[in-house]
Amino acid sequence: MVVTGQRFTKLDNMIDELHELFDQWISDGVFSSDLDADTVQLLRLAVHEWIANLIQHADFQGNQPEVILDIYPNGRRVKCVIQDNSAGFDAAKHLKLRMENLEPFPERGMGLLMLNAVTEYFEYFRSPVGLHRLEFSVSADFYPWLNIPF
Amino acid sequence: MQATSMSFFVEPVNADTAVIKIGQALDFRNAAEFKTTAQDQVRSGIQNFILDFTDTGILDSTGLGSVFSLYRQVSPLSGQVVFASVSRPVQVVVQLTRTYKVFRQFPTVDAAREGIR
Repeated sequence: MVVTGQRFTKLDNMIDELHELFDQWISDGVFSSDLDADTVQLLRLAVHEWIANLIQHADFQGNQPEVILDIYPNGRRVKCVIQDNSAGFDAAKHLKLRMENLEPFPERGMGLLMLNAVTEYFEYFRSPVGLHRLEFSVSADFYPWLNIPF
Repeated sequence: MQATSMSFFVEPVNADTAVIKIGQALDFRNAAEFKTTAQDQVRSGIQNFILDFTDTGILDSTGLGSVFSLYRQVSPLSGQVVFASVSRPVQVVVQLTRTYKVFRQFPTVDAAREGIR
């Protein structure tokens, strides 16, 4: 079952709203039976990390925040699209910096790395309609690992 | 004796060990509160922490970072941070980050109390 156009506008309760929706989707059987519970949890973690990043760091330039979530389960894989009306940022540059400067037992800076680790791929770009768009997929056949120095 | 520190429930075990009940989430919204709670305990002489993840549905990167912060504080004191009753969502993060190499896990809080002696 595909979930499209799930819209969030209030930053202060966006995370609660997101997790309530995930609970509902799991209860409603939105995710394919080919997706095991741990893969759904990794999807949930990736979405959480991205929205947490938007809440903490995004510049909405005085506009009402708008975040739109689409989820497309497909067998043992699920694709996710998250669009937002923020000013955006250079995700590839930030990811590279985080990778190069990760300290042992890091306190901050693991969010993008976590997203990168759990996804088969992720792309972030400005869409033709002017929104910033994150696309990624999570797979039941992908064994993720975030290599944190200990 | 039991005490509540901010949003985290702290239960002393003995003079140098305490259980912190994490609750539903340890994430960017309450990681600072967790750090403050833990630091207060360290100042009062606690070196060993049992983190009770029984009810925890969310552990994100910032939450994990706050646990790393605690570990950095207590490890020079020969203290320990262990995980107890780890929920599935937390276990997924533990596996993803291989933090089971650092934080011993126990099936229950009682087992952790015994194991940390």
